[in-house]
Amino acid sequence: MAKSILIVDDSASVRQVVSISLRNAGYEVTEGCDGKDALSKLKGQKVHLIISDVNMPNMDGISFVKAVKQMAAYKFTPIVMLTTESQESKKKEGQEAGAKAWIVKPFKPDQLLGVVQKLVLP
Amino acid sequence: MSSITLSTASGSTSAAPGRLRLGATSLRGLSCTLLGAAGGLSTWAASGWNGWALAGGGVLVAAGFVFDRQRAAHDRRQRDATATFVRENENLGRDLLPVWGGHIESSRQQMETAISELSARFGGIVDRLDQAMKASTVATEANEGADQGLVAVFDRSTRELNAVLESLRAAMESNGAMHQEVQNLGRFVAELQQMAAEVANIASQTNLLAINAAIEAAHAGETGRGFSVLAQEVRKLSAMSGETGRRMTDKVNLVGEAIANARRSAEASATREAASITNCENSINTVLSGFHGVTDALVESADVLKRESVGIQAEICEALVQLQFQDRVSQVMTHVRQNMDQLPAELTAGREAFERDGQLRPVDTAALLEALKKTYAMAEEHTTHGGGSVKAPAEEEITFF
Repeated sequence: MAKSILIVDDSASVRQVVSISLRNAGYEVTEGCDGKDALSKLKGQKVHLIISDVNMPNMDGISFVKAVKQMAAYKFTPIVMLTTESQESKKKEGQEAGAKAWIVKPFKPDQLLGVVQKLVLP
Repeated sequence: MSSITLSTASGSTSAAPGRLRLGATSLRGLSCTLLGAAGGLSTWAASGWNGWALAGGGVLVAAGFVFDRQRAAHDRRQRDATATFVRENENLGRDLLPVWGGHIESSRQQMETAISELSARFGGIVDRLDQAMKASTVATEANEGADQGLVAVFDRSTRELNAVLESLRAAMESNGAMHQEVQNLGRFVAELQQMAAEVANIASQTNLLAINAAIEAAHAGETGRGFSVLAQEVRKLSAMSGETGRRMTDKVNLVGEAIANARRSAEASATREAASITNCENSINTVLSGFHGVTDALVESADVLKRESVGIQAEICEALVQLQFQDRVSQVMTHVRQNMDQLPAELTAGREAFERDGQLRPVDTAALLEALKKTYAMAEEHTTHGGGSVKAPAEEEITFF
């Protein structure tokens, strides 16, 4: 059974690029346009990995990660931050919130896949 | 923050400092009148309170008054112009900046929509290429266990046709064995012919002996009568044996002829079968060769398709990477627009300050720049902010926690 991945980004084009890269590798993909929207998508389905932007309207990525870590079903689900933010202070915030990896955009699909394969157990 | 104080008509309604300024302004507005009065008074006193001197003093007072009125009118015009300037600045923030911001946001959204659709189309192309490659692989695959691919079908057909050829060859070899048996029968016929001839010869010898025995019996007279009968019976038997030997020879000859005919037929049949098998083999090889050529061409074509598809997919993936510029540009435009949105409030505050206490408050550029800086997410935004040239984004950076 294919592993399921949730992509959270307010940019539709970024969601498309990530989605295409992952679907070609055999993953199932669900999309959320911000943290709030993504939290609603998490209810009622199993997600094996989450890829989230940081700067988003309604609920930013760091707050989203904190909220996810409060959910019993997703307490141990790996989260990857995919963002244009490259400041160390922001990375530290992400790490403290519970993220497992930080990728600075622009990204290459094969390298994103490398990170995903490292974090999603077969 | 620096401020500039001007005299205003509204000063009369303001607090104590305003009233102090009003008093000073009133005195300044009458300064020339008072100066003229002082000059006239001193002239009049110096002239010993002469009437003409009094008239001259009056003229000075009047001149001072007129000058003060003109200066007051000038101040009012200047104040009105400043107020107009301040209001226009506010209008710039209220009317023009939202239009600029609207255009930026509209452009950002249009770009995002277009890039998103473009990405989706690229994604569709990648999916379709993937499906085409999979279909092509299934159609031409030759891997073990595959039973539908072109190469697999070809291999299976070759095996089956070779099995047919093997069956035909086995049948021909079987016919050859039968032909050998028929040839062996021919040798038996010759032996039988020899044996029949020997029987005829024995019969002839027996007949000759019987004749001799009859002659000797005749010489013996009465005593040889019985022996004569016996010799006669022996002659009869030898005659019958000779007849049987002839019939045997005739039959053996017939059998020999039939076997010879059968051998010739078998030889002709074997020759025809050999020719037929050779023709079949040639036909099968020709068909398989043609089929093989077609298969090879299709496999090569499928390989080319796969290579090209992989290349196109790689190109599209690279294009998708490049399309991520939209996200970066969109963020920069959003940060600039958000900063622009703060300017109208600044200009309104300036207008209110001017109307309240006559202060011309310049826009706090440093505060706006600082606010803009706080919104930056990308390194190149900081570079641009500092006056540096825009560089291509750095290679992707991955950090594991």
